[in-house]
Amino acid sequence: MHGGIRVSEDRMSSFKNSSLLISILIVSVVLAFIIVWLSMAKSMSYADMKTILTTTTATFGTLLGIITAGLMFTQGRFSELTSELTEKSPNYLAKVLSLEKIQSIETLLLALKKAFTQLAASTRIAEERNLYERIVAKASSMFVDFAVLLNLKLTQQGLVDTGLLVSEMDSSLYRVYQKRRQSVNKEWQIFSVIKRIIDTWEAPAAFFIAKSNRETPLQADLKSSIAILKLKENVGESSTNIRTEVAKTLSELNDEFSEISKRLHEDRIPQLLPQMKQASTIRGKYFYLALAFIAAPLLINLLILPQLSETTTTFFQPIISITSLLSVLGVIFLLLYIHKILSV
Amino acid sequence: MLLLTKTLVTVWMWRAVKKSAEKQIRALFAEHSIPPMEVIIPILEKTGRGEQELTAQIYNTYSSLIKGLKEILGLKDKNMKTVAKVWEAVLGFEGSKFEPIELTESRFSFSIPDCPMLHVGKDVSLNVKGKFCDLICTAGSRALMDTVLSPHKGSCTWNKALIRGAGKCTVVFELVKTA
Repeated sequence: MHGGIRVSEDRMSSFKNSSLLISILIVSVVLAFIIVWLSMAKSMSYADMKTILTTTTATFGTLLGIITAGLMFTQGRFSELTSELTEKSPNYLAKVLSLEKIQSIETLLLALKKAFTQLAASTRIAEERNLYERIVAKASSMFVDFAVLLNLKLTQQGLVDTGLLVSEMDSSLYRVYQKRRQSVNKEWQIFSVIKRIIDTWEAPAAFFIAKSNRETPLQADLKSSIAILKLKENVGESSTNIRTEVAKTLSELNDEFSEISKRLHEDRIPQLLPQMKQASTIRGKYFYLALAFIAAPLLINLLILPQLSETTTTFFQPIISITSLLSVLGVIFLLLYIHKILSV
Repeated sequence: MLLLTKTLVTVWMWRAVKKSAEKQIRALFAEHSIPPMEVIIPILEKTGRGEQELTAQIYNTYSSLIKGLKEILGLKDKNMKTVAKVWEAVLGFEGSKFEPIELTESRFSFSIPDCPMLHVGKDVSLNVKGKFCDLICTAGSRALMDTVLSPHKGSCTWNKALIRGAGKCTVVFELVKTA
């Protein structure tokens, strides 16, 4: 039933990108090592070696300076976005998402979940069952998100969570709840939860998007199911009560969510969150990757350089060549990093 | 300077009107929806009933949609150009692609690379898909022609190429000449 609560496509694609990047790096390092090993026989003069080492060290010392400036820039942008969102979050928990509002939405979602679980169980047609199960999964996901928000709200107000909503969850849904609750560590992260709720409910903001590229929101699935139930009524396969109830719940939920969504868009949260995510990614992954690729050759060269004599040069020749090649990769990552910083 | 200000105000007003129209169309599409074919066809096939009801539902839904669209977009002419404009808006807002082929005073044709029938399960036979294709296209095109062209009469034909596995389906609207 909760199979529908999936890892978002964004995360999957980011994971695939990182795996690809790491694979490319490993392959590059291995290739560099093989090439250098094969060309070891070729002799290199002592003076050339020293020049290479001095130049590499000086270049990467400078690059490290640039990358530190980049880190400060990204950190600055990240802090700016964090404080903007953190400033807005208490108002959301206190006013936009009042206790009554959360409880009312949770009641409606629970009603939907129950109605569609019954409908899914009563149909023998796979396509129809899939639609109803999709509705149940999405309603469950939203139910969990609101339970997380309620818990945060009560914690903020110093009240004890009675666990009323948790008692409506089965074990797998409870696991999702715990995972999502634990993932909210900072105040601004409540916006990720609210945005996920709105995205699950609403149609994508832009029209003219190819059908195959968009996931149907819960709202659209509910409308489809109402249209199906209406048709089934006409052929005597369903009762009017269910459709009327679903239509009423849909309308009430629409009213509740349109208010939240309007506020979210007024505060530019859907624009700020991706920027925040991007800044965070750059600050972490790209920076440390680039840093490692610059610092490693730099440190090795600094260790090698003071000990350089003709004997040691011969001994370290393959390592020096590898560090120089790694430095080239470092430059590539630095450029990628700067490009990403500029696009935030 | 005055000309520049005038131009800027006009552009701003045009953008505001466009935004408001988009909002209204969004609401219109949210209000009127037809059942997803990939779900409803297996249901109707199993029960062996409901074709007339589906036809009526599609006709009524599209009639309401097109009436609303005409009002929002301010389309009053009863000709093929309006048919093309309305159809482009419907398909665009539904997220479907289409390529115009011909647009004259009496004829409008276009091709579509995707149709709801392609998403109907494999266990539904080609005959059944063909039958529902006719049913849906008849109801939809009638709604379009009745709402846009009336009192003029029109006809619509489609070649079901997509169901047969060919690349694109061609749809042709033609004005019927009255003596």
